[in-house]
Amino acid sequence: MDALILLQMLIAALIGVVVYTAIGVAPGTDETAVLAPVTLALVVAGIPLPVVLAFFMAAIVAKKLTDSIPVSVAGIPGGVMSAPMVEHAMILKREGHATLAIRKMASGSVIGTLVAIPVSLLLAFLLTPLADVLSQYASQIFFVGAVFLALMSREKVISLISIVILAALIQALRHFYWGMGVIPEGQVVFISFFLGITIGPMIFNLAQLTVREERRKMATGEPKTIKIYANDDSDDTSSFPNPFRILTRQEAVSATASSVLGSVTFFMSPVGITIFLGEVMSSWVKGTVEKASRALSSMDAVTNAAYIAGILIPLAALGIPMSPMAIGPGNAFFNAPPVLTLEQNAHHLMSFGEIAVASILGAGVALLITYPIAVRYARHICVFVFQRIPHEAFLAMFFSLVMLLAYMDAGVMGILGVGVLALVAGLLNRWGVNYGVQFMTLYAAPWLMGWMA
Amino acid sequence: MPNKTTSYLTVWDDTVTGKDLIIALAVSTPLTLGGFIFTPWPAPMPLIIGLCGALLGFAINAVCLRPKRRLDIEGEA
Repeated sequence: MDALILLQMLIAALIGVVVYTAIGVAPGTDETAVLAPVTLALVVAGIPLPVVLAFFMAAIVAKKLTDSIPVSVAGIPGGVMSAPMVEHAMILKREGHATLAIRKMASGSVIGTLVAIPVSLLLAFLLTPLADVLSQYASQIFFVGAVFLALMSREKVISLISIVILAALIQALRHFYWGMGVIPEGQVVFISFFLGITIGPMIFNLAQLTVREERRKMATGEPKTIKIYANDDSDDTSSFPNPFRILTRQEAVSATASSVLGSVTFFMSPVGITIFLGEVMSSWVKGTVEKASRALSSMDAVTNAAYIAGILIPLAALGIPMSPMAIGPGNAFFNAPPVLTLEQNAHHLMSFGEIAVASILGAGVALLITYPIAVRYARHICVFVFQRIPHEAFLAMFFSLVMLLAYMDAGVMGILGVGVLALVAGLLNRWGVNYGVQFMTLYAAPWLMGWMA
Repeated sequence: MPNKTTSYLTVWDDTVTGKDLIIALAVSTPLTLGGFIFTPWPAPMPLIIGLCGALLGFAINAVCLRPKRRLDIEGEA
């Protein structure tokens, strides 16, 4: 690895940190929806993989650090993963420790990152011998994965039914493109279907706006009101905040243990693990404030660890996206035709060393920049984003990115196909079929339909 | 129907107005797709210009449109 690539990785990490520090704060931003299109575009554009990985790691760590900010400052989740933490942050706020929450969460994040990278690389090293076996049965594994995630979800019946329905729709669209002659027969469209599922909920929302009855239900006379809590201890102006001083020894131990468990369970749903471990770790703590602090620091540590392990282990060891994280936000590293395919992806093209260096560099840059900023300027960042960046700008950017990649895949027919798929996926999502089930189905579709035919 | 100018819509967990949403889409989509379609090949150039179009559209929308959120800042009331 030469100096030029290292410099590019550094620059990419810096860009990732700046962009995703802002996006992390914005309410309601889903990790998959905000990261997957950008990463896909970078990979397809031919940016060297270590540079994209450094960008991605920096973006994930920065986003995870900052999406705790609105939780502590305004009691609203900055992303899907931070939703379970709102309750505990509200307790701290009620007790008059609003900014304590962000410091505990951000410090938990730091521990999660510091623990997860070495643990994941070690696990990856141990799991490597499995890779050949697993990749032979990839389609079957994805199908079993879809069924497993469906059975673990709240809406089991519709999730199971949707596996077959979505698979049929996806294969129907592929044959439609081949039949129309917009894609050479045998070439498999993937990116635009993936994105169609990703922005399904948003497209479904936009479509609802065109229906008078639905629009009336979505209308409100008032803009969303966000309450920004008062600062309780603005005296923290020490040079560089130290996560090990902010957390008590017990909190640091809990956070470390949670991070290890979160890394080992990389193939499970990170939200589920987060809630579970947060409750377990805080269950034997007495005192409201102490309990909430313990839960917050542990939960933030787990989300970070689950994310990092979820991408690093499949990437370094397995070569197929076998975790909700790898199949969602990090999907571009495994399948981004024509640049990467399931048989020839970042796992095959990057050495273990390159993966390790890119991850450590990206995560390191993000920690060094975002952690002190998050701890010290949480309130300012929040107020800036809420007051200056309109939600319309985010919606329009993701919408246009998906249109771009759909057009690139299959022209005007590609845009139509994505529209159909996004509507169906969005409706299923509304009914409780989660992304994990839908993405696994996307991978299993050719095999499943071939087997049923 | 409520008066169009004062009615907000909840899309993707935040409030927008129909007019501004249409404006934002009308700014971003042509810049992004147009950048891709009208840039001469070879390979990565159209995509890069398209991505720049997406960023430019975001910047224009962020500067020109007003967020529809009401901030209630404790201690500054």
